[in-house]
Amino acid sequence: MRTLRHAHRIAVKDLRIELRTRDILTAMGLFALLIVVVASFSFPTTSEHREQIAAGLLWMAFLFAALLGIGRSLSMEHEHGCIDALVTSPVPRESIYLGKVLSNLAFVGVAQLLLLPLSIVLLQLEPGRGLVLLLATVALATLSLVGVTTLLSAMAVNTRTREAVLPLLVIPVAIPVLIAAVQATTIALTGGALADATGWLLLLTATAALFLLLGLATFRHVLEE
Amino acid sequence: MSVTHTPRSRQVATTEVAGADAAATSAPPPGSGGDRAGLKTRVLAVATGLSMAVLLAGALLWAPTDRLQGDVQRIFYIHVPAAWIGMLGFGVVFVASIAYLVTRNARWDRLAASSAEVGVVFTTGVMLTGPLWGRPVWGVYWDWDPRLTSFFVLWLLYISYLVLRSYVTEPTRRARYCAVLGIIAFLDVPLVYVSVRWWRSLHPGPVVANPDGPQLPGSMLAVLLVGVAAFTLLYLLLLRLRIDNAVREAELAAPRRDVPPARNRGA
Repeated sequence: MRTLRHAHRIAVKDLRIELRTRDILTAMGLFALLIVVVASFSFPTTSEHREQIAAGLLWMAFLFAALLGIGRSLSMEHEHGCIDALVTSPVPRESIYLGKVLSNLAFVGVAQLLLLPLSIVLLQLEPGRGLVLLLATVALATLSLVGVTTLLSAMAVNTRTREAVLPLLVIPVAIPVLIAAVQATTIALTGGALADATGWLLLLTATAALFLLLGLATFRHVLEE
Repeated sequence: MSVTHTPRSRQVATTEVAGADAAATSAPPPGSGGDRAGLKTRVLAVATGLSMAVLLAGALLWAPTDRLQGDVQRIFYIHVPAAWIGMLGFGVVFVASIAYLVTRNARWDRLAASSAEVGVVFTTGVMLTGPLWGRPVWGVYWDWDPRLTSFFVLWLLYISYLVLRSYVTEPTRRARYCAVLGIIAFLDVPLVYVSVRWWRSLHPGPVVANPDGPQLPGSMLAVLLVGVAAFTLLYLLLLRLRIDNAVREAELAAPRRDVPPARNRGA
């Protein structure tokens, strides 16, 4: 499919830039780690509700890191005038959206893969047999978050305040994702299996599908100058 | 009155209105084409005022006092209609947003923007009257009950819609972006509702009475319906005034299009 091939090329371009500069991953990974560290001072991470606190904390770190990274990734396109080249090139807008979603997924995913084991050690968690549910939750919720943040960040970079407005747009919309992700993660950290969080996983699947479809349907209205 | 035939020529309009005692209600600046709303707006304003007076009388004097909650319950007659019509306003934003993206007619954008603003005013009223009632009846101003929480998120969604409007300067770009957000926000509401419901059902809070019990005495229901009618009229009136305002803003902004648009993008 042409759309996917173009999307793949755009994602590869982003990843190549990132391999050379390492701007986004460094900022995102370090920021997320700092959130976990600061939160460990602020909340009773040794109490009996440790898993619940850890789940909330992990998703705060993932959310803010994703906002930082994706905002950066879209404003980089603007700084180098790359977005204008993409808009004028004979590439469907859907490919640009999918390409950015793919590269943003890669950035956020790598940051999560680094942060997750580190947090399990730092917060003294023992997911045990909940690991499968944990990974499924992270995958689905990240897909939803990246899908909607990529769309909204393409608008945010064109506002008076640039990326500063991005959290204000994303967080209210992402509240169902965050609630579902935190609840499913709590179940996973207390050793629950996939079947213990079917409802939350279904909700996350629904949000991911809705956000990605909306992104595909409306991205051409966003990128149109 | 001079407004009945709505003259097209602006000069004629200003001279005629100047003679009549008509400029009192909305007082449009001369030459801004403000007369186009004239009569209908005035009729709507009178109807809104009358229905609000009937609502107040009905809510404060006629409706029976609630046996359990006492007089506090009377806030229900403005709280519930404001909530319903506020949500209707957000529904209008959704429809107008889709219509804008399809037709690219700026009228739809003005309708969406105006309806969002009026909707936020109404839902802010709901967020303020709710705690006033909650404190004496529940004992707390706020509870993370599913209905309250999802309404709070709904309110936040449309606050962020208005923030986006104020942060994008170029009119057509603003219209496109806000239409996209107007669609996302509305489709997000059911997801918010489901997630909040499940979240609370896992950790049940204090048992909370529903503000609108299904068994409502006839007189209470009648006052509620008057409230819904009054708030619908108020919504239409504010919407109309706000759209007029948006039209004037667009007219004022129009000449600036000749200036090269080099402000937002430096590619």
